[in-house]
Amino acid sequence: MHLDPFELHRPTTVDEVVRLATELAGRFDYLAGGTDLLPNYKMHLNAKPHLVALEDVGELRGHSETRLGAMERLADLEADRAFGRVHPGLSDAIGEVATPLVRSSGTVGGNLLVDTRCFFFNQSYFWRSSLGFCLKADGDRCHVVPQAERCYATFSGDLAPALLVLDAEVEVAGPTGRRRLPLGALYDPAGDGIRRTRLAPGDLLVAVHLPPGAPGRRARYKKLRVRPSYDFPELGVAVAGAWDSDRVRSLRLAVGGVETLPRRFDDLTDPLVGAPLTPETVNRLADEVQRRVRPVHNTFLPPDYRRRMVGVYVRRALAEAREGSAG
Amino acid sequence: MSSRDLLSFRLNGHPVDVPCPSPRVLLDLLREDLRLTGTKRGCDLGTCGCCTVLVDGRPTLSCLTLARLVDGRSVETIEGVSPPRGLNPVQAAFVAHGATQCGFCTPGFVVTATALLRSNPRPSRAEIERAISGNLCRCTGYLKIIEAIESAARTEG
Ligand SMILES: Cc1cc2nc3c(=O)[nH]c(=O)nc-3n(C[C@H](O)[C@H](O)[C@H](O)COP(=O)(O)OP(=O)(O)OC[C@H]3O[C@@H](n4cnc5c(N)ncnc54)[C@H](O)[C@@H]3O)c2cc1C
Ligand code: SF4
Ligand code: FES
Ligand code: FES
Repeated sequence: MHLDPFELHRPTTVDEVVRLATELAGRFDYLAGGTDLLPNYKMHLNAKPHLVALEDVGELRGHSETRLGAMERLADLEADRAFGRVHPGLSDAIGEVATPLVRSSGTVGGNLLVDTRCFFFNQSYFWRSSLGFCLKADGDRCHVVPQAERCYATFSGDLAPALLVLDAEVEVAGPTGRRRLPLGALYDPAGDGIRRTRLAPGDLLVAVHLPPGAPGRRARYKKLRVRPSYDFPELGVAVAGAWDSDRVRSLRLAVGGVETLPRRFDDLTDPLVGAPLTPETVNRLADEVQRRVRPVHNTFLPPDYRRRMVGVYVRRALAEAREGSAG
Repeated sequence: MSSRDLLSFRLNGHPVDVPCPSPRVLLDLLREDLRLTGTKRGCDLGTCGCCTVLVDGRPTLSCLTLARLVDGRSVETIEGVSPPRGLNPVQAAFVAHGATQCGFCTPGFVVTATALLRSNPRPSRAEIERAISGNLCRCTGYLKIIEAIESAARTEG
């Protein structure tokens, strides 16, 4: 498979990246590890005439317990056992992204901004041309929800839910300088499923920051996939909490892999703070999350099954997080 | 920057200068331009591990790596992982254990396993299974491959 021609740029500083990105707005993609972008380019999915490689931008690398550089590779996080111990939920999620060979190149930033997936999109040009193109690439309709004017492709990154429950923030550099926003605010529910983030032209994801309380939080990420060593999530449930003996001191829950964006359910978990988590409250929470999620039929497993499994995975993730170490 | 700039890197210990347009992936450069056909093209999309090479010692899928990004780096392929004569311990163990059938996946497994044993000379069985979980084999059923790597670790360590 050959890539269409593009010009490759190799900036070395964040300022240089932002300048280039502003100049090339709309005509380029960032290249991090390339493990998501290049398969799509090979299938001629929305390829651009310029690629800005982030490889040489030193500031984007490195990690600590509270900062993950956007270009930090997943395998390097995985190899840091001490990091894994203080971030058990994140460590679950990192270890379940793709395969070790993909994680060797795949990065944190690329994972948070991984393209959404759909059975009718992630196909060769020939396959797509036989059926007719869709809204997300080259076409004017959706094969999954035919009456829709938006795209329902599935957000399939594993790190986002695990970072959302830790109250992570992202640092963004853009033409007007640097800013920080909660990770949840990076994803834009007002988008049309094709535009999904609040990043503006010229914006670059620099790092993820975790609040000081995040290390040691009892957290878990549970992922359902077809082949356990390989596949993208059919659903992913993350929880993080703290308990005073039996009482909930804090609790967050996020779900990815079922809709166009990952999302948190604070309105369901906030009322549980201050009281013990009983089997009844756990069941009510799981049932309500399951009732609210809206998977569509664009991945391998049928949406009704995925929806029901969301409830099962909420129960499992909560049970394991409560048994987990640290308080 | 011209898209045909010369690319310079170390390949299996030797310096190489080769013209390389931006859209060339490392796998195509190795197989088609440099005629090192030991590295295999399976899926071309990151799913099979047949194209694994080492970039600065790190296992890397050459089908998803732009060749220009290895400028100034060191690349080892299956040809470099093998000694000039005979077999390296992983290869010898693959032969002894019948861990290769059609052989198409074998270069990828050998490169992945060689990298594993360099960083972790005494891996547990679980660590071996995990390390090779991005390499697909359609013939062997994996058991012989795992046994071969275990035995290479014993003889090497
Ligand atoms: C076989 C296979 C299986 C996979 N399975 C999974 C899986 O189970 N779970 C999962 O989560 N992912 C999976 N992936 C997708 C991908 O490998 C990972 O999500 C990986 O972390 C992406 O990182 P990357 O650095 O390779 O991203 P890239 O491909 O380089 O980039 C992805 C996107 O993010 C943008 N981007 C990257 N960095 C920045 C930045 N700093 N600022 C702004 N934009 C940026 C790029 O422009 C691009 O649009 C799989 C991929 C393959 C090939
Ligand atoms: S959900 Fe519809 S528009 Fe979106 S990728 Fe799938 S078929 Fe295309
Ligand atoms: S050919 Fe590269 S992973 Fe299959
Ligand atoms: S020996 Fe044939 S694919 Fe592995």
